[in-house]
Amino acid sequence: MSLLELKNISKIYGELKALDNVSLHVDQGEWVAIMGPSGSGKSTMMNIIGCMDKPTKGEVLLDGVDISKESSKSLTDIRRDKIGLIFQQFHMVNYLTAVENVMVSQYYHSMPDEKEALEALERVGLRERARHLPSQLSGGEQQRVCVARALINHPELILADEPTGNLDEANENIVLDLFAQLHREGTTLIVVTHDPEVADAAQRTIVLEHGKVAREVINENFGK
Amino acid sequence: MSKKRMFLRMVTASLLRRRSRMLIALLSIGIGATILAGLVTIYVDVPRQMGAQFRSYGANMLILPQEGAVLNREGLAGALESIPRDELIGAAPYRYVRLDMTSRQQSFTAAGTDFSQVPKTSPYFSIEGAYPENTREVLVGKSIADTIGVKAGSTMELTYQPAASSEAAGPEESRVPDAELAGSAEGFGGGIVYVSVKLDGQAAIASVEINAGTQTPEYGGRVAEDEAFLNQFIGKTLPLTLGEDTDALTGATVTSEAVVQAINTARVAENAAKPQTLNFTVTGVLTTGGEEEDYVFMSLEDMETLTGSEQLDVAELSVSAGAEQLEAYADAITQGSSGIQARLVKRVTRSEASVLEKLTALVFLVTLVVLLLTMICVSTTMMAVVSERRREIGLRKALGASDGSIRAEFLGEGMFLGLLGGVMGGLLGFVFAQVVSVNVFGSSISFQPLLLPIAVIVSMLIAALSCLLPIKRAVAIDPAIVLKGE
Repeated sequence: MSLLELKNISKIYGELKALDNVSLHVDQGEWVAIMGPSGSGKSTMMNIIGCMDKPTKGEVLLDGVDISKESSKSLTDIRRDKIGLIFQQFHMVNYLTAVENVMVSQYYHSMPDEKEALEALERVGLRERARHLPSQLSGGEQQRVCVARALINHPELILADEPTGNLDEANENIVLDLFAQLHREGTTLIVVTHDPEVADAAQRTIVLEHGKVAREVINENFGK
Repeated sequence: MSKKRMFLRMVTASLLRRRSRMLIALLSIGIGATILAGLVTIYVDVPRQMGAQFRSYGANMLILPQEGAVLNREGLAGALESIPRDELIGAAPYRYVRLDMTSRQQSFTAAGTDFSQVPKTSPYFSIEGAYPENTREVLVGKSIADTIGVKAGSTMELTYQPAASSEAAGPEESRVPDAELAGSAEGFGGGIVYVSVKLDGQAAIASVEINAGTQTPEYGGRVAEDEAFLNQFIGKTLPLTLGEDTDALTGATVTSEAVVQAINTARVAENAAKPQTLNFTVTGVLTTGGEEEDYVFMSLEDMETLTGSEQLDVAELSVSAGAEQLEAYADAITQGSSGIQARLVKRVTRSEASVLEKLTALVFLVTLVVLLLTMICVSTTMMAVVSERRREIGLRKALGASDGSIRAEFLGEGMFLGLLGGVMGGLLGFVFAQVVSVNVFGSSISFQPLLLPIAVIVSMLIAALSCLLPIKRAVAIDPAIVLKGE
């Protein structure tokens, strides 16, 4: 069953076509990587999938709803309800503790629940670090808090932007293991990355070049 | 955990865990609130402060007898009951009479008063020496002291000559053979001329003796010695008419008229009011730069001994109240007591009102400017806070924060700052006002408990208003900035 469908979308900035007639189909529960060099249109695609931007042309169906025509207010609502975001720069609220950062996501979504937030931190192995401020956490720990924050509201889609770009190998593996867990639980994952190793962890890799889908690679070794 | 608690937790954490930024914002609000609260305190207190200040310019209300009525101490005390005790700074009664200092051939106006009240109603009195404390002591005006050469410690003998009756004495007195009559009348310059007349067996004038008192020796003073002038009265029967049966002394017409009037109104010595003479010690010399320098001040008791009357001419009141309130007191006194009227010293009350008006307008204006400056300052700080936290705001929006939540969070932080700044300002503002009050007005002020909530509410309002523009900026931030770290 299809969760996300991009139908012939283009994003045009003046003369520049950041995305040129791209189509993409992601099924519920699928783990997809998007690769491509700088300027290939990855970020633009990520913004559109993440409901932070709208295409100039084309349709974006998320869970059957065309989000390309929505107002920015309802885009916010859709993003909050359906999407969990993970960023390269971790991005935590620097004056809130780890558990509070997770609760911020709950706060905007529905109701803050400290117990649930602590359980999410436990899941990423940071139960003991829950009361630490971001400045007291390592980069890997911060990114794990961000994973906990992304999954706390049980989103249908987790959208990760270079999630391991700033991590060492050990932490990269921890994060990828967490992704694999989420995948097993049925969460749909879209991971934008430079890193072939990260892309290899996914079921399918889409390669973008010059705003177009250059090729699509199915990972034969997935799950092995 | 409820959403409200999480909101508070986020807002307070933002302020408490980012101390340096918070301190700057808090300081700008706090200082603004301090000056505001201080100015408002002064603004509210100015009328009272200035009221007390103005009282150093002298009395602002007079109590006078109505025409044909007599004012005395009881009447005055009754009138004063219309004025609340704490607003009545002082009430000095005055009785003015003309006294002679025969030894110096001088006469001057003497004022009987209550020396305990004079410093309150006339704080500008400058005295070389001291105020009299006992009876038989006087305070002498500077110009008199200079003329007759007295200073603190000198003694002076003052005589009260009852004013002569303006009607001529009846025939039963002035036509009695062999009678001895005494009389007086006001001559040149207010000085009293005294006469003693002896009648012969036919009730005609046998001899006239004149005491010219303070009349100028070269002019009026000659009536006492000029033989031709004195002799013209001999053998005449009273009453006399100047220009018909007697002639004025050349160059002394006024004194001559006084002599004739004194003779005509002379009475048998026992029936005439006797002059009273008392010895006084000078305790001090008064300098005011005004007409008071021409007066001799003595206690009311001495004045009553001299004149035999408890009558008062006027009472000067110093009342610490606004123009309208004063008007109300004056009306109450005039209507409430018979034979007494109260009047405002318009010269004082009007200038008070106008100075007060200007001062309050000034303080109001300064308050407004400070308010504006505070708003600009807080707004700038919040603007800096917003640009410093662009990423965080973007993150919050990416996590699903609506524009409303972003607004609420910043407004919440602003108002929390306003609350802290307001409490700080309310307390420090009182200290500020106290310092200003003590240094400028020389008196302390009492803490207005109402000031604290007002300062808090105003600071929160200012903080909220100042946040409007920064919040607009915050809301406009694109959540996409959090992707691909800049």
